[in-house]
Amino acid sequence: MIDDMKAEDVSGPEVTLESICVPSDAVVFREIEGDVIIVPLVAGIGDADDELYTLNETGKAIWQKLDGRRTLAEVAAALTDEYQAAPGGLEADVLGFAVEMTKRRILAVRG
Amino acid sequence: MTVQALPLWSKLAAKGAPHAFDLELTARCNNDCRHCYINLPSGDATAAAAELGLDEILGIGREAVDMGAVWCLLTGGEPLLRADFGDIYLGLKRLGLLVGVFTNACLVTPAHAELFRAYPPRDIEVSVYGVTRETYEAVTRRPGSHAAFLRGLDLLAEAGVKVRFKAMALRSNLGEFAEIAAFCRERTADFYRFDPLLHGRFDGDAVRNAEIEAERLPPEELVALERADPERFGALERGCTDGMVFQPSGEHDGCDHLFHCGAGQGSFTVGYDGTFRLCSSLCHPDTVYDLRRGTLREAWVEWVPHVRDLRGSDPEFLQKCRRCSLVDLCLWCPAHAALETGSMDAWVDYFCRVAHARAGALGIDG
Ligand SMILES: C[S@@+](CC[C@H](N)C(=O)[O-])C[C@H]1O[C@@H](n2cnc3c(N)ncnc32)[C@H](O)[C@@H]1O
Ligand code: SF4
Ligand code: SF4
Repeated sequence: MIDDMKAEDVSGPEVTLESICVPSDAVVFREIEGDVIIVPLVAGIGDADDELYTLNETGKAIWQKLDGRRTLAEVAAALTDEYQAAPGGLEADVLGFAVEMTKRRILAVRG
Repeated sequence: MTVQALPLWSKLAAKGAPHAFDLELTARCNNDCRHCYINLPSGDATAAAAELGLDEILGIGREAVDMGAVWCLLTGGEPLLRADFGDIYLGLKRLGLLVGVFTNACLVTPAHAELFRAYPPRDIEVSVYGVTRETYEAVTRRPGSHAAFLRGLDLLAEAGVKVRFKAMALRSNLGEFAEIAAFCRERTADFYRFDPLLHGRFDGDAVRNAEIEAERLPPEELVALERADPERFGALERGCTDGMVFQPSGEHDGCDHLFHCGAGQGSFTVGYDGTFRLCSSLCHPDTVYDLRRGTLREAWVEWVPHVRDLRGSDPEFLQKCRRCSLVDLCLWCPAHAALETGSMDAWVDYFCRVAHARAGALGIDG
């Protein structure tokens, strides 16, 4: 009936600027009316039962660049280009976002 | 951020998009409750053959998700009767829906409990038909169902799955109603509700409709029960002071539109055989759309406005219900009127008596 009942632990290795982060199997990402909504799929995501996550504009911009090929450093570089930010200025934001989202099992590090 | 707080809902509402839908996975059930509006025998081969298959269900789910839907409630009949329940449930969750389940809990297996533990539902709502075996099975008419119900609840509890409860106030369980309420409140901190209003069968079966009628409480008893529940009565009273329950008489004078409610505005129901309905109870043949012959988007964009524009012509309805100040206290709506009488614009004596008894208890002069 159910083929994969063990979707629990998807947390991976440490997140660094060289990591490639992807949406984890523990959640479903949806884009509805311009908002990115994260719907928990497995138990233990989020703090309360009826919690959905939405990303703010920064989170959304980062998420849109997580294509499964770019490292976080490359994501930061692409965003720096796009927003004409100071070189290297966005790396801390991108890394912080990825660390937090990985801790919450919303993102996973591609092994 | 909590679900209710998302600005998304107002965006979806402004766009006229659906945010929620109910899916009746089957009309079949392991029980045969005296008051049930839908159940057919679990072995009913014709009903089983008419049921949407897994792919059809996921196809509808995908369309709903594309249109913006976030909530999906699985109901029946008894949804756990379907051998492919787990695939349906998980398939819909993987589409990014928050999935709830209505169940009698009798058929919960360890595999279901594990599924709900690993992939939590948005809600599981279990109906409690009695506390003792005698009362429970007087309602369900299935020997052994009480033990199965308790076993199902235990399995869910052992797996740490949170459950909500609801009870129907019926003639067959009224003697035990205080115990039912206590049983539910003991097991759930956050939620218990009861429903005293019974509507008619979806298939119009006359024998079964007579059974439903026999389970209805007389208006005075029903109101006494509501009065005894401070939460419920308080909500009715608050509604009154907020001006929600009591509408100025004659406010809708001259309007012959049938639908003043929210049917088809933000949510819809899909029947077990793929019929699209504007709300869970609206089964009148003039209002349903066959999703096996058309798309959900067509149903939503083209069929819903057509149905919502239907008019009533029955003079009694236009004189009484359409101008009525108690409509918010009343079970009357086009769907329930149709289940009761076959027409959507019929006045219904029992509904009217209940609404007036409620108004009396609230000190409103209808
Ligand atoms: C049809 S059941 C389906 C889910 C499941 N089998 C159960 O009993 O909870 C959904 C809910 O509708 C209620 N119900 C059944 N017949 C009804 C009626 N004639 N009018 C109003 N509610 C009814 C049931 O008691 C139950 O709480
Ligand atoms: S358990 Fe639910 S679906 Fe089954 S007969 Fe009772 S009310 Fe109907
Ligand atoms: S049935 Fe009676 S109380 Fe209900 S809406 Fe009609 S007139 Fe009003």
